[in-house]
Amino acid sequence: MILESLAVDPATFADATGWESKPEGLCKGDQCVPAPEAVTADGLLDVTVVADRLGMAIVEDPDHGLVALGPESGGRALTTTTVPDLPFTDADGNPFSLSSLHGRKVLLVAWASW
Amino acid sequence: MAVWIDETGTLVRPAESASIEPSPMRAIEITDDLPERMQMLFTEVKKLPDHAEDYRAAIVDWVENGADSRFAMAPHEVLEASQPRPLDHSRAAALFELGCHLHDTVGKDAAVPFWKQAHAANPENWTYKRQAWTLESTPPGEASDMVQEVSDTYGTTWLDDVIANGGGEAYGITPAL
Repeated sequence: MILESLAVDPATFADATGWESKPEGLCKGDQCVPAPEAVTADGLLDVTVVADRLGMAIVEDPDHGLVALGPESGGRALTTTTVPDLPFTDADGNPFSLSSLHGRKVLLVAWASW
Repeated sequence: MAVWIDETGTLVRPAESASIEPSPMRAIEITDDLPERMQMLFTEVKKLPDHAEDYRAAIVDWVENGADSRFAMAPHEVLEASQPRPLDHSRAAALFELGCHLHDTVGKDAAVPFWKQAHAANPENWTYKRQAWTLESTPPGEASDMVQEVSDTYGTTWLDDVIANGGGEAYGITPAL
C-alpha cells in the first residue's frame, strides 16, 4: 500500500489491505488483533501502530514523500480463504467483478509474458 | 500461478505453479553451436519441474467432483499450504510496490534502488526479479526478452540466480498434488 503520510483513513486502509478497524481491534476474516491505540484523535489510523501490531513492514522514501506498507507477516500469506471482490477490467475495457462468477468454479491464473 | 475458487467464493487451493501443458522450451535441442551461456540456460530450463499432466488431471477431477475431489482443500489446509510470510517478505513486498509506483510516476531510475532492495529482502521471489530484469532487457513496445541475460543494472541474471538457488529443479512453487 502506497501512502503519503503515516496516518490513513480506516476505509482506505481496509480497501487496500482487507483489515478493518472495529471496536475489538483490526480484523480480517475471522481474525482480530487488539490495537486500542491505533485510532488517532482525528479518526485516522496510526500506521506505525498498525504496522507493529500486524507485522507490516514500513518503507519510507523521503525524496518523493512516500511511504510503502507491506502485507501482514509472521504467519502464512493467507489469513482467510474468503476471496475478496477483486476489481478487474475485461478485454473490452469494462469493469469486471470477481463476485459476478459466484455459483461457478473459478480457476484464477496470473501470468506474465516474461 | 493459479488459485482455485469454489462456487461460494472460497479458495480451495492456494497459489501454486499451474501449467497444464509442458513448455515448448523443454524440447529445444542443446547443440554445441549454441553459445555456452545459452547451453547452460536451456540445461536449467529442461530441469524445471513439469507437473502439467497431473495438474490438468487435478483440475478436471475438481470440476467433476467439487468438494469431494481429493485435490480440493478444506479452509485450514489452504491456509497451512499457503506460503510462509516472514517480516523480510513483507518488507520486500513494500519495496517492490514502491518501486512500481515510482516507475509509473517518476521513471525507472527512481524505481531501481527499491527493486534491488526487494530482490535482496526476498531472493526467492522470481516475480520481483523478472519484472525488474525485463524492463532492462526489453525495449519499449517489443516482445519480452525471456532470456534476461542483461545484468549491468542488477549485477545478476536469470541463469545465475537459478543456479545459485538450487538449479532449475528448485524453480517455482511445485503444486502438492
